Amino acid sequence: MILFENVSKTYKNGTPALSHVSVNIEKGEFVFLVGASGSGKTTFLRLLLREEFPDQGRILEAGRDIASLPKWRVPYLRRNIGCVFQDFRLLPNKTVTENVAFALEVIGRPASTVASQVPQILELVGLGEKGHRLPHELSGGEQQRVAVARAFVNRPLILLADEPTGNLDPTNSESIMALLERINRTGTTVVMATHDQNMVNRMRRRVIELDHGEVVRDQVRGVYGVPEGVL
Amino acid sequence: MRNYLRYALRETLTNLWRNRMMTIAAVLTVAVSLSLVGSALLLRQSAAQASAQWQLGTRVTVWMAPTATSGEISSVHTQLRQLPIVKSCVFQSQYKDYLQSKSILPASEWTLLKPGDVPSSFICTPTVPNDAFTIQATFQHEPGVYMVTAPEQQIRQMNHTIRIVQVVFIVLAIVLMVSATVLILNTIRMAIFSRRREVSVMKLVGATNWFIRIPYITEGFVQGLLGSAVAMGAVWALKTWYPLHNEFSIGSSALWGTNIVVLLVGVLVGSVGSGIAIRRFLDV
Repeated sequence: MILFENVSKTYKNGTPALSHVSVNIEKGEFVFLVGASGSGKTTFLRLLLREEFPDQGRILEAGRDIASLPKWRVPYLRRNIGCVFQDFRLLPNKTVTENVAFALEVIGRPASTVASQVPQILELVGLGEKGHRLPHELSGGEQQRVAVARAFVNRPLILLADEPTGNLDPTNSESIMALLERINRTGTTVVMATHDQNMVNRMRRRVIELDHGEVVRDQVRGVYGVPEGVL
Repeated sequence: MRNYLRYALRETLTNLWRNRMMTIAAVLTVAVSLSLVGSALLLRQSAAQASAQWQLGTRVTVWMAPTATSGEISSVHTQLRQLPIVKSCVFQSQYKDYLQSKSILPASEWTLLKPGDVPSSFICTPTVPNDAFTIQATFQHEPGVYMVTAPEQQIRQMNHTIRIVQVVFIVLAIVLMVSATVLILNTIRMAIFSRRREVSVMKLVGATNWFIRIPYITEGFVQGLLGSAVAMGAVWALKTWYPLHNEFSIGSSALWGTNIVVLLVGVLVGSVGSGIAIRRFLDV
């Protein structure tokens, strides 16, 4: 599903973000990206969204080299990728329903589809009753659930999450993780960058650790810290 | 497509309403700036109108000596007709001039006058008022010509004044137009800058650039339209209560022309301005 082949990226100010990263993520996998701040996790995700270009190497998504994608095709690439961020990134002047519906309107779904799918997904994330609220009227946990609903409403192949629990308390973090797991069970590949040690240790999923832009660990059932004898 | 049109229309209307302070600011900016531009254009047309009227009124009269032979008269006539700087000429016979002098001279003097004493004349309109002097110089010493008269001093002054007035109004209109454009663009840019986050979220969920752009462009279009409607009202009011009359009076075609310019500028600056302003936020 996702293939990084010897990918390097250096920012214009000379900061190396990724160097010679090669990773293969299969369809339906749940992957944690861990590492200190500035280790390259966010760059990894931005490259997948083609918000950045690799300086070197190839990135394949669903068998397609995304670097050779013409600019006008980028929105179509993004329609197959759901995104969740630490700061939720909801449209502040649209209601919960409108925020989720927007992801469907963008890809030209008819109004009838929008009207039937949005309440379903809001029900799934437990916000069935709050569709008419504006984002600032919701708690952080609820806002993040709206963001997850928006990311998943058009059933993307890949779901990227950049520290989705970073602003949430443990209870809300748990419920977001439960949602992501549930989404993963439907066959969606989930890539999640995180600092949440307990979560990673508890879930026992594949862990890719980055350090100064290099992959220093890729473990099938990993934990957050470096276990004895791995390196 | 129908889905999108419905979406774009709904989005435009809700954006206009949700950002109503910015909408009002943009509409007022367009209205005030374009009222000034329209007024300057209208005043320039008024000056041009007066100038055209005066030009029509410029006459050069070639007086033939009462003793001039018919050969001399027809020679002058032919020359006048062949000269490109002469637009048209009317010949007045001695008898006609004799009758006309009745209205100028006191009765006691006119009774002494005989038709044979009065010169016949050519009343000519030059193509350009300034050519009056050339006509005068050309025919003054022709055989049979008694004298050539032209309203020399007035023509010089009038031309000078009109040229200055027209230049002033054109410069004023251009300066106002440029500053109006910059003001409107800036207002729109500020409105869009406050919504750049919104645009980045749209990009993230896979909206194409045109999908994002169209509601903003129609928003700018509506703002431009409302603003220019107000400005058109102001231009119309200026025409209605215009203090100068006669040769300065503004025709309804001038009013329509000016209002069409005001409308086009408002609508173009509004929609193209929004399109340009949003461009830099789309490049994510």
